[in-house]
Amino acid sequence: MASSVFYKFKSRKDESRVNFDGTGISVFDLKKEIILANNLGKANDFDLCIYDNSSNEVELKDDSHIIPRSSSVVVKRVFAKPGKGKAAMYIAGSSSAGASGATLEPSKSTAGANGSYSWHRGNMSKRFDGKEDVPTGPKAT
Amino acid sequence: MADVPTLSIMLLGAGQEVGRSCCVLQYRGRTIVCDAGVHPAYSGIASLPFIDELDWSTVDVILITHFHLDHAAALTYITEKTNFRDGKGKVYMTHPTKALHKFMMQDFVRMGSSSTDALFSPMELSMSLASIIPVSAHQVISPCPGVTFTPYHAGHVLGACMFLIDIAGLKILYTGDYSREEDRHLVKAEVPPIRPDVLIVESTFGVQTLEGREEKELRFTNLVHNIIRRGGHVLLPTFALGRAQELLLILDEYWKKHPDLHNVPIYYASSLARKCMAVYQTYIHTMNSNVRSRFAKRDNPFVFKHISNVPHSRGWERKIAEGPPCVVLASPGFMTNGPSRELLELWAPDSRNGVILTGYSIEGTLARDIQTEPDEVQSLKGHMIPRKLSVDEISFGAHVDYSQNSEFIEAVNAQHIVLVHGEQNAMGRLRAAMQDRYKSRDEDVKIHTPRNLEALELTFRGERVAKAIGN
Ligand SMILES: [Zn+2]
Ligand SMILES: [Zn+2]
Repeated sequence: MASSVFYKFKSRKDESRVNFDGTGISVFDLKKEIILANNLGKANDFDLCIYDNSSNEVELKDDSHIIPRSSSVVVKRVFAKPGKGKAAMYIAGSSSAGASGATLEPSKSTAGANGSYSWHRGNMSKRFDGKEDVPTGPKAT
Repeated sequence: MADVPTLSIMLLGAGQEVGRSCCVLQYRGRTIVCDAGVHPAYSGIASLPFIDELDWSTVDVILITHFHLDHAAALTYITEKTNFRDGKGKVYMTHPTKALHKFMMQDFVRMGSSSTDALFSPMELSMSLASIIPVSAHQVISPCPGVTFTPYHAGHVLGACMFLIDIAGLKILYTGDYSREEDRHLVKAEVPPIRPDVLIVESTFGVQTLEGREEKELRFTNLVHNIIRRGGHVLLPTFALGRAQELLLILDEYWKKHPDLHNVPIYYASSLARKCMAVYQTYIHTMNSNVRSRFAKRDNPFVFKHISNVPHSRGWERKIAEGPPCVVLASPGFMTNGPSRELLELWAPDSRNGVILTGYSIEGTLARDIQTEPDEVQSLKGHMIPRKLSVDEISFGAHVDYSQNSEFIEAVNAQHIVLVHGEQNAMGRLRAAMQDRYKSRDEDVKIHTPRNLEALELTFRGERVAKAIGN
């Protein structure tokens, strides 16, 4: 059965969800799904930060951290120097590329499958470890 | 430290960039947001200012300077999708801006609904529009205790204004986009009669010098004429409203004087603009004396003699593209999609044709990329098209150049200057040039160029803050 995690952009009234199979989703995969579902992949001047839903909103910085299904998180789009935004990194790797922890259950996504990201061609199978700088994405023309 | 009130200025957009203007002012418990635009190089949520940084229910006032999308198009999202309405916030813009914003946004929502990137629905748009309070230039408005503001004419486009804002005695002038040269239909920006403490000013052209209006118009009409003479088509990518009206006034007059051009059609490809002509005719009284006196003589300059609308049928772009030489004003100005993009793709391979870029071209758009005159351009479908058509840039963008901006900045005479709405380099050069001017006169003026989300905190001494905020 499909599982969900609910997310809400900090400034937004309503919640959205990401669906996946398994008991949890990594922070990496959740970011990837949110980027795809909202077609954010083209912009290279922001980072997505995910916070737990507690009153003091602790940022979930570890991309391999697993968020259990049915939880709710808060998402913020924060400014990054143009070209330094990491969105492309999240949608470039395969879903396991960012999760260094081998315990991650494969989480196949259903959200954002129709996102238009045809612009990224070429060297997109490269592995990213979440720390290195991403090369500037191709310019939209 | 004693209780020294601090003015915090945070840019959610347009910090060292052009696009998605959104400036948050916080002082003595009041929060005022100037402009709420989108970034034209992006679509959907990626185009919004960094709105997650603000609790929108705490906002007292949103002020919109003019109808351009990079200043106004995020407003609907903010009023309808955030918790803005949980608070007591009010939204203001001038009467003509409100009238034109409505048409611009109806078009924006139509364009967006065909993609997966729609930011809001037509229903949400009408809700947002209904909540806008229209104001007039020079009116003094008190939106909430402790705050007043007054709009002043900014030139630029019909309805554009600057806001002089007073929060508990502290005065801030936010210019938005402005021009200091009277053009064919608008008055130039005014210098407000009161000296503000802080000036937040656009810096689009940095230290560039732009040519004067007459030279510029002459170069433009000659270029158009030359392209026609060589048997080509002229593409003028422009937004439907704003500078397009100025270009139409220039072309209509030029055609009148050149009978050899009378069989060459000028097409204005915009049903949006057709609707908005009524707004232009309604607000003749806010335009300059040239327009007003013609109108008084029953010569309405906005009733054009040589401009035709394009046929309403599907595929008109191809029909016109394959027809005889002509001039087409088509939107959008950045050629990211739509009619202007389609015509460009059709005309690019023929060297007789020409495209003239008449506005400021934002980074990341085709209008900007084509200025390097690449051998090929990528079509929207993804294949490469040879580019042989000529590319020229003649800016009718109606922003101040260096001499106009520096003169205005000095006339306003604020102690703190915050540069916004400029690319990093342009802004850096402007700051250096202004600093030199002040240094040579031994004046202590601070010039700031904050990045997005980099909060600027300013404190003011003494009598300025004596007036307490009412409640
Ligand atoms: Zn503008
Ligand atoms: Zn602007």
